[in-house]
Amino acid sequence: MNKKNIGRVIITESELQKRVAELGKQISQDYKDKHPVIVGILKGAFYFVADLTRHITVPINVDFLAIGVYPEVSNQTGIVKITKDPDISIVNRHVIMVEDIVGTGLTLGYLYQHLESFKPKSLKICTLLDNPATRLVNIPIDYCGFTVPDVYVVGYGLDYQNEFRHLPYIAEFSKASEE
Amino acid sequence: MFFVTISRQTGSLGDEIASLLSQRLEMKLITHDFVMSNWLPQLANKYELHMLKESPKFYRNQSASGIRFSEFIEHRLREEVEKNPVVILGLGAQVIFYQNSNAINVRIVASKDIRRSRLIQKYGLSVDEAERFLTLSDRKHRRYISTIYEKDWSDPTLYHICINTDNMSIDEAVETLAYLVETRSREHPSGYTKETKTLLKENTEPVSFAHPSEEEFSKILDMYNIEWDYEPKTFPIEWDAEGNVTKAFTPDFYLPKFDTYIELTTMEQKYVSEKKKKVRLLKKLYPGTNINIVFKKDFHTLLKRYGLTRGDDSK
Repeated sequence: MNKKNIGRVIITESELQKRVAELGKQISQDYKDKHPVIVGILKGAFYFVADLTRHITVPINVDFLAIGVYPEVSNQTGIVKITKDPDISIVNRHVIMVEDIVGTGLTLGYLYQHLESFKPKSLKICTLLDNPATRLVNIPIDYCGFTVPDVYVVGYGLDYQNEFRHLPYIAEFSKASEE
Repeated sequence: MFFVTISRQTGSLGDEIASLLSQRLEMKLITHDFVMSNWLPQLANKYELHMLKESPKFYRNQSASGIRFSEFIEHRLREEVEKNPVVILGLGAQVIFYQNSNAINVRIVASKDIRRSRLIQKYGLSVDEAERFLTLSDRKHRRYISTIYEKDWSDPTLYHICINTDNMSIDEAVETLAYLVETRSREHPSGYTKETKTLLKENTEPVSFAHPSEEEFSKILDMYNIEWDYEPKTFPIEWDAEGNVTKAFTPDFYLPKFDTYIELTTMEQKYVSEKKKKVRLLKKLYPGTNINIVFKKDFHTLLKRYGLTRGDDSK
């Protein structure tokens, strides 16, 4: 894995921090007296959740949910499963699901249905990045950091084969030259 | 247990038919007056009861106990049909029990001239007064359904049977309905007619896909536990001068939970343009319809990602 695969920076560190602060402020206004549970989706959203929640000024709980996609494990068909559920009960609570990026919406649809099954009082979606060009499943996004073009991106939690999550900015990544 | 819902136009004799039918079949009759006198005082104060008599919108308000008045009525009706054989007059029951296989939804109508004449005879009104009475009354009924349930009360698909009493007596209407209820109870105790049962069975049988790529895509949706219907709807998109449909478009999948249609285009580029055009037309003709296209490149990326290696054939 080489840094030469990393292309232009799409969102700089300062742009990220500014927008994340704005989202935190907006959520604080919308959730006054609601004591929401912030559910971050691992692993991609953990930097975003860490920064976002530090800009939220109303009482919140923070928890995480992890999903695993396992291709080719049975009859040529992969499986998708929850590998970690929130430890905090979200029944009858206001919940904000925090994602790193929304693309096709398949994962988001799966997660949304899963969290909805716990009967929260409300369930909203916050994503750092939205790539609407690839959308298949239409789910309303309540809080969106940035709309990005249909390119592969890494950094600020997003990875390529578990690398580059730690980059403080979002950059294009070229898989072609890697392969 | 079967039950009957009756929706009626003012002056259509629907009240009389409901009353006699409940006696004939020994079923409890639930009317708006019954609900106002027996159920709503349990959670509405004097002012709220007054407003509930006057304004359909008020049914959407929350009572002091936290439940909307409309939800309370719906809840009590659902309890009632589980416990007792009932005839429900009005109250939006045809919408509440739209998909209940034990419901027989009836609509009673009559022509405006006949309804006006009946009102003149019954209440001693002038022609103009009777006309105004009908207009206001019909509007009130329509608003109740549209405000609370966002449905058109005259939509014929809400009902199993519609009776026009222009030239049908109350007794004939009652006997017709009684026959329907008794036959249904005797021959279809499960609630479903033979034809409906066949349809339900067909719907649970494996889907026959027109193309292997569609089957592959259905597996991906299954992996994500996303409910889907295969080609459930055809949208007419072009008509000739006489209004005959000349071109239609049937998207491959519908995701009911997300109200989204999906069309696969894993074929060659020259055919993709045609599909794109159809999608554009569909969006223009049916605004608000969510439809997304899966292109060949994206489809193969998905297949690769989820270990589904087939689907190379063009579609």
